[in-house]
Amino acid sequence: MRTLFVLLAAVAGILMPGAAAAQAKLVVWHSYRGGEKSAFEKVVGAFNARPDTKIKVDALAVPFDAFADKISAAVPRGKGPDIFIYAQDRMGGWVEAGNTVEPIDFYVDDALKGRFIPTTVEALTYRGNLYGLPLDYKVIALIHNRKLLKTPPRTTGELVKVAQGLTNRPAGKFGLAWSYGDFYYVASLLNGFGGGVFDKATRPTMNAPENVKALDLLVKWEKAGFMPAEPSSALITSLFNEGKAAMVFSGPWFLGEVASDIDYGVAPLPTIDEAGGQPMRPWMTVEGVFVSAQSQHKDAAFEFAKYVTGAEAGKVMALEGRQSPAAKAVYDDPKVQADPVLSAFRKQVEVAVPMPNVAEMTMMWSPATTALNKVNAGNSPREAMDVAQKALQKDVDALRKKK
Amino acid sequence: MSPAGPPASRVRFGIGLLFGLLVALAGGWALLLGARTQLEDDWTTRRAIVAVNALGSLVGQATDDAGVRKLVSAWQGTHPPGTRVRVIRGTTLEASTDPADTGAKAAPRRLAREEKPLYDQAQRLRAGVDSNREGGAPKAEIEVERQGGARQVAAPLEADGKVTGMVRLLVPAEPSTGGRSPVQAVLLLVFALVLYAVAAWLLPPRTALLATVSTALFCLAAAFFVGGELRALGLAERDGQRALASTVAAEVGRARALTGASAIDGGAWDTDLARKPHGLVTGAGAIDREKGEAQAQRVRRGALRSLLTLAALGLLALVVVGFGGAHRVGRALVTNRQAYAYIAPAIMGTTLLVFFPFLYGIALSFTDSNIYNTNLPLTELWVGLRNYATILGDFSFLRRAADGHWVFNYLNFYWTFLFTVIWTITNVVWGVSFGLLLALVLNTKGLALRPIYRVLLILPWAMPNYITALIWKGMFHRQFGVVNQVLAIFGFEPLSWFDTPFTSYLTALATNGWLSFPFMMVVSLGALQSIPADLYEAARVDGASRWQQFRAITLPSLKPALVPAVILSVVWTFNMFNIIYLVTAGEPGGSTEILITQAYKYAFQRYQYGYAAAYATIIFGILLVYGTIQNRVTRATEAL
Amino acid sequence: MAPSRREERTPHWILHTFLAATVIYTVYPVLWVLTIAFSGKQSLAIADLPADPTKLDRFRAVLPWPTRFAFGNFSSVMADQPFARWMLNSAIVAIGATIVGVALSCTAAYAFSRFKFPGRRFGMMSFLVSQMFPGTLTLIPLYIIIVQWLGLGSTLSGLVIVYATTSIPFSVWMLKGYFDTIPKELEEAAVMEGAGPGKIFWSIVLPLAKPAIAITALFSFMTGWNEFIQAATFMDKEEMYTAPVGLRFFVGGFQQQWGYFAAGSIIVSIPVVLLFLYLQKYLVSGLTAGSVKG
Repeated sequence: MRTLFVLLAAVAGILMPGAAAAQAKLVVWHSYRGGEKSAFEKVVGAFNARPDTKIKVDALAVPFDAFADKISAAVPRGKGPDIFIYAQDRMGGWVEAGNTVEPIDFYVDDALKGRFIPTTVEALTYRGNLYGLPLDYKVIALIHNRKLLKTPPRTTGELVKVAQGLTNRPAGKFGLAWSYGDFYYVASLLNGFGGGVFDKATRPTMNAPENVKALDLLVKWEKAGFMPAEPSSALITSLFNEGKAAMVFSGPWFLGEVASDIDYGVAPLPTIDEAGGQPMRPWMTVEGVFVSAQSQHKDAAFEFAKYVTGAEAGKVMALEGRQSPAAKAVYDDPKVQADPVLSAFRKQVEVAVPMPNVAEMTMMWSPATTALNKVNAGNSPREAMDVAQKALQKDVDALRKKK
Repeated sequence: MSPAGPPASRVRFGIGLLFGLLVALAGGWALLLGARTQLEDDWTTRRAIVAVNALGSLVGQATDDAGVRKLVSAWQGTHPPGTRVRVIRGTTLEASTDPADTGAKAAPRRLAREEKPLYDQAQRLRAGVDSNREGGAPKAEIEVERQGGARQVAAPLEADGKVTGMVRLLVPAEPSTGGRSPVQAVLLLVFALVLYAVAAWLLPPRTALLATVSTALFCLAAAFFVGGELRALGLAERDGQRALASTVAAEVGRARALTGASAIDGGAWDTDLARKPHGLVTGAGAIDREKGEAQAQRVRRGALRSLLTLAALGLLALVVVGFGGAHRVGRALVTNRQAYAYIAPAIMGTTLLVFFPFLYGIALSFTDSNIYNTNLPLTELWVGLRNYATILGDFSFLRRAADGHWVFNYLNFYWTFLFTVIWTITNVVWGVSFGLLLALVLNTKGLALRPIYRVLLILPWAMPNYITALIWKGMFHRQFGVVNQVLAIFGFEPLSWFDTPFTSYLTALATNGWLSFPFMMVVSLGALQSIPADLYEAARVDGASRWQQFRAITLPSLKPALVPAVILSVVWTFNMFNIIYLVTAGEPGGSTEILITQAYKYAFQRYQYGYAAAYATIIFGILLVYGTIQNRVTRATEAL
Repeated sequence: MAPSRREERTPHWILHTFLAATVIYTVYPVLWVLTIAFSGKQSLAIADLPADPTKLDRFRAVLPWPTRFAFGNFSSVMADQPFARWMLNSAIVAIGATIVGVALSCTAAYAFSRFKFPGRRFGMMSFLVSQMFPGTLTLIPLYIIIVQWLGLGSTLSGLVIVYATTSIPFSVWMLKGYFDTIPKELEEAAVMEGAGPGKIFWSIVLPLAKPAIAITALFSFMTGWNEFIQAATFMDKEEMYTAPVGLRFFVGGFQQQWGYFAAGSIIVSIPVVLLFLYLQKYLVSGLTAGSVKG
């Protein structure tokens, strides 16, 4: 009896694709929690309550640490969600592995693309094909303790001067605390100098002269002594919460860790005097809404993707979830405009660089971190980056060699 | 059940011969059936690729949309009735000979929503061509779907070196040449058995004699079978080559008729999926003799290898059954059925959930599997022992830095191995000795507050180690860590713990030592209860000192419970991923990586799955050797 | 104890000093966890020093003690997500895995200890071998078995099977070692009195092996109680998550809410401590209790 029913349903699905889509029950996976989660669930609820649709969406939160593994385990085997939301850095890998993310280029016209901040669309494009709609972006900016520092510096020259004035090393007070041992953060300097980790054809460019120059500047800052040693993210949060760090380079996630008694402000990262006044260009991660390649309801899934990345949903995500939506129209809303944090990140994203979404990206972290640690321990940036370049080149070649 | 005695060796060798021949002949026949189907399949695909390449090059030459449509319909006219052609550029269906695309749906038109897969396929082919040109991982530029005997092939369209669209061609099925009958194999089997029966009846029932006769008959039958089948396979291969050549010749002729061009290189249409010509067929459509013969040779050799393997298996079955091995196994199963029933559930669960993943991992280690080729079957990625050779053959311990001095290469396998061994030994020695010491102290009769101590001492085990590991890491921070503060109280200089391999290792050791001793303490505590108190009393009466009592009574009595715990904690510490990952993260410069963190990096950061699996298999091999030796030495599997 | 033997024992105050020092060593990091949990903030605690620290300042800085007792982290952990439900799932899974694992291990270990049969050493070795292949790399094959083949995705029984089989190898080895130490004479006497193998196993061997069973039970429980990645991968419904999965929400990705994580860790470790409190009376019972002398 049940088989018969399934058979009928399948026949009906073939004959009337529109009808099948209208009754779709979708599952979406995300890794939000706290305020972001409730805002997202509110958006999902609003979507389900729309009178003109019969698509119902269930949201499942998956811990970030398990997300990628869970996707890689479930989706290629025909299980898993219809839609999932994740940063673009794993996207290239999923595309290359196949059977995971559905290309959505076909659905998307220029009007829809025009909805978003252009670089966020670029972040989700792989080899000329669009694989997801941008939901929101995350970039690092300058976060400062307003009690210690009223106006944040605009250039690195000012930054060094201000930071030195606020530093008292023996007392554990620092002008600037940031994860300069973490390549993700340091990339903002490298990009600012015009460097980067891969060229257009995904060949590694770790030891490009621009990168070395950027690291030389980092070494100069370290020698000036206004940054704490061994800067783990936990330490930076602690320092800022204890009022022992005046400035921090970090992203929106950091604001959720700030203690309630700290009065903070957010401003764009300074411009780099040493790079001819070019701005620091942080890496931007974009959370894309991806349609699973195994979904039975791809049309409906795309409908949902379009809805959550729209302006209406974006306002909820921005004001209640404290996220920075990729939809441009959100920032025309007076409430959003009046929000200093959201507008600061919006300003920052103008100069941000989408973090590469190629599969080779995951290979970069290990050699890059090693190089950065070497530089921070006092070795020459040039040599450290040469070693990193060689290591990365070897790993990239290993994947490309023919059998 | 009374023991019926072993069956006579005459019967046993007969049964053995039957089984052996079944394995070799039936297995071989099934194998060849598969191989021939595969062969026919491959030739059909290859002919379809010739056709789509021919079509693609013609469509690429057309000057405008109308020209394309005209060409496509003319092309359709020169091909068998079931042929279907579709040309797609961007979101447009530019030309089509599919009966569905008529009337309102006639080309040119925009692709409908449910035709999205066509658009995606065109995009995929374009990305594949781009990727191959950039020297990326090899990608398919032609996609083939099997639809029964028919082939749906798609190839990119190019203009001025850029991919502008896609042509999709359905090549209808051709009648199959039919399989090979199993009569020959059956006859050989019957013939060999009859001969054996006659020989066994005539000859004296001596084991050596029967073994010789049955083996000889087996080999004879197998040789006949293999010889005949290989010949037939060679012929099939030659037929395939001829059919391909005639397809090329036909396409060249049609192309000439359609375009009027005279110089057409049809050999270039016979390509692999990356559109590289095989070079088997010449421009005019004749077979290159030498290459054709070489390919037939390859096919025969591949089949021969599989058939010989099967024959060896069959021979093994013959010998095992013939000499009574199978009989003995059956007897053992029946006699010890109670014991086997007791262990069966545990063994089955472990086999299913542990050994399957494990065999999969070992198979993976012989391949070049990585993120770009996960959808291919493992057999196509086979690289034999290459991964192992690369890992174990890396002897670059030192390298010269830019300023001329030598730098140790911490990423070398042997360094990581050495470090893993040091890490394991120090951790286990600390865990066992400290845990045992605490257990002994806590086992003191009449000591107050023992339950409270016990509970407080297992806290490190009870708390999730994700957070305690990070607390420990924080304690070693240069400026804000408590360890340096304590050093300062005693007047020492603060240390940068994570800057040198040795101090970095100490931080991980301190963390893991703290985490691991409670387990050993609990195990020792339990084991101490198995020692009868009267043993000690007897020893005391004999005047033995406490140390003597410990050596003579405590340690030997603890052995049965402690040795397994030690062996297993060696295994676990060897693969203690979390602590290294969370505390040192391999710093500085990868010097404190252990083998498992290295394997993890290969799998999840470098996407070299095959290589990582080889790493994991080597880890397994090392531990297996250790376990075997330790087991030999301590006889842990033996009862007292 | 006869008082005459007192002299050869180490004085108890030395033992107490040693134990107290060890307790400080084990509890110290745990106190930091407590400090973070009660701080009401999300950051890890750091040593707070004035510009020119005296030894006393330094000493005060290394003492972990919450400057205030805020319960906000605890209430947020319990209230903002179905944490109690997740704890319950964890408890069901861990207890289920313990029962299945210990039951199967006891029978298998008894066979390995008492019967002589071909393949005995091979079987024991294969349990050991099963622990040797790095588990980090076997997630996807496991997923195929549990979710695709057995169809046990999003069920507690799927996790029970996985965790039980994970702990069986250790349990078999541990129990077999312990069974070996139980004198065979006891069983032989029972056979004389006409007891069957089932009765001997149940009423003679098992009671004597209580310490080992307590250890394996604790071990099996911990295996299931703290496991994260498999639970997160096999469960596709939020209400089916286990406590470790819930805990990881606080620290994944960029955002690290250590205050919540610390509070959650403390909540999660309480049942383990309770279980140990319950099991410790079995842990220290056994042959020394005199049952063997009969």
